[in-house]
Amino acid sequence: MSIKNKEEELIKEFEKTRAGMKRNFTQIADTFTFEIKKNFKTFIIMLIFFMIIFTLFSIVLYLQEIQEVPLPDDPIDYLTTYLSMIGFLIILSTSGFAGSIIAEDFQKQTGNLLFPKISKIRLFIGRIMSRYLLNAVCIIVYYTLVSTITFIKYEEFPPIILTSLGWALFYTLSMFAFVTFLSSLMKSTSATIITSIIFYLMVFSLILQMMAFFAGGQEPFFLITYYENIITAIFNMPDPRYRELTFGGPRMGGGPEITFTQWITPDELTAFIGMLLYAVILLTLAYLRYRTRQSKSEV
Amino acid sequence: MSDLNKNRDDILVRFVNLTKRFGNFTAVSQVNLEIKRGEIVGFLGPNGAGKSTTMKMMAHLLKPTEGEVWIRGNGELIKLTSSNKDVLLDNIGFLIENPAFYGNLTPKTILKYFAKLKGYPRKKLNFRVEEVIRMMGMSEWIDKKIKTFSKGMRQKIGIASAIIHDPDIVVLDEPTTGLDPKARKDVRDFIRRLKKKNKTVFLSSHLLYEVSEVADRIAIIHRGEIIAFDTLDNLEAKAEKSIINFEVLNPPENNIESYIEGLKEVIYPLTGVDDNARWITYNPDTKIFQTFFNGQSSNQSEILKLLITNGYEITEFSVPKAGLLENLFIDLTKEGQTGLEG
Repeated sequence: MSIKNKEEELIKEFEKTRAGMKRNFTQIADTFTFEIKKNFKTFIIMLIFFMIIFTLFSIVLYLQEIQEVPLPDDPIDYLTTYLSMIGFLIILSTSGFAGSIIAEDFQKQTGNLLFPKISKIRLFIGRIMSRYLLNAVCIIVYYTLVSTITFIKYEEFPPIILTSLGWALFYTLSMFAFVTFLSSLMKSTSATIITSIIFYLMVFSLILQMMAFFAGGQEPFFLITYYENIITAIFNMPDPRYRELTFGGPRMGGGPEITFTQWITPDELTAFIGMLLYAVILLTLAYLRYRTRQSKSEV
Repeated sequence: MSDLNKNRDDILVRFVNLTKRFGNFTAVSQVNLEIKRGEIVGFLGPNGAGKSTTMKMMAHLLKPTEGEVWIRGNGELIKLTSSNKDVLLDNIGFLIENPAFYGNLTPKTILKYFAKLKGYPRKKLNFRVEEVIRMMGMSEWIDKKIKTFSKGMRQKIGIASAIIHDPDIVVLDEPTTGLDPKARKDVRDFIRRLKKKNKTVFLSSHLLYEVSEVADRIAIIHRGEIIAFDTLDNLEAKAEKSIINFEVLNPPENNIESYIEGLKEVIYPLTGVDDNARWITYNPDTKIFQTFFNGQSSNQSEILKLLITNGYEITEFSVPKAGLLENLFIDLTKEGQTGLEG
């Protein structure tokens, strides 16, 4: 038998584990369970944080109640109050779970222990699955709390909240991909987290504002944070999905009258395609960067 | 290259013209090395010589700029590539540089994960982890979080992670870094035990003593090039020089200089080295005298006889292996002797 054939036979035999499954699947599964254990503390901290936010919203609404401010007639209006910060909650939780997903191996030099034992692609997949799952559970718990209190107040459960939850989870996936991509570029977990939040709070918002003024009404479908709007807009989809705002003119202090278009939300198809493209492209780029990146000890 | 296809069962790993450049800097240059089954190969060199870089290329953490790594698999030496690295590296355990772990996890959790990644039988996992932790003398720390560990303890867990799946080849990069003297001895004893189990060990260190005490063959690397690769005995013969350590009963507390002058009169004629190369030193902390000689057994014997004859009460008299290597290393790395440009 030639050396080439012996090599092929060796590789084929190797791919079976003692359980009869291919080694790559068991490595992904083992990485999945290991990462769940490793990130469990982060998960508990995030859950506590979400519960704190929920509690704060509940206190605000309760204080309004005791001030005899009437509850909204529509339970949708009540529960969307709790969802007004959902985008921020999502970026915080995704930063917490995905911030270290790649940067950590280079910051802590754990790659020297890991990579002779497992390939980067399997490690990457196992980590993405486990951390996204923990992230998703946090979102689901928050929605459960919101649904529960809505049910207590109104004795009804608006099914559309499940649609909103679906969009929230899908948006979480695309933001998760974004933070993972940043993690593949950054030298540390903290740098990744800070950069992610800065992009969310400042960079994307500024780009959106600039587009409103200068993009001639173009829908900002390339901006990832634009898709966040569908999470709450789905309860009552506006038509049209934009508003026109006018500044200047004789009624507003003089000067020329300027009208600009502010897009409120994408439609469902655009949202689905946009978030899917973001997730796929950014995760692919993150993995390609991860694959070629060497540890900081090399020049 | 046709030699590589010959069925020499004893060669498990072979480096062929292994080279690694980072931009204009050459970290490793034309390294040729063979590691035989069941032997301990020491990879010796100062910090920055290219030891870790070489080991990373063997672990496929770095791709060589030129050259190849060949590893035995399925009875043949097979060139290491991205497509077969999982297979060829499966039976090798690595400890590369200072190991870093996840601080909020315990050794048990981490070692079980590593063992699973390597396909160690699941039913034997717990037993194997406890066994390896016991070998490292850390049984009481098995369920404690790694962030509470000292550097030396993390190093031990690093060694444990390299052997957790019971590989036939163990690659250890500076395994005694951060360890106290007792722990270093434990690691040396542990390496010797691996050899008794017919494991093959490739270990690197910048500490001459650590390598010389355990290695069957030693490769000396300097500025990325192998400048010597042979058994310790052959290297000693090449060195042609050595150091004698000796102790005397009740050395003088004061006026040690005149005592040393007396020793010089006795020893110097028998050292077999040039006048300007002769020396004797005394370490007041260890109370050990050292003298330089030509490494010949006959000279060593004559020196001992003459010291005793002249009334020196010798309580210890030995030729430490590290001394040989140190001199050899110094000789080999002198300008002009290695072919390296200054």
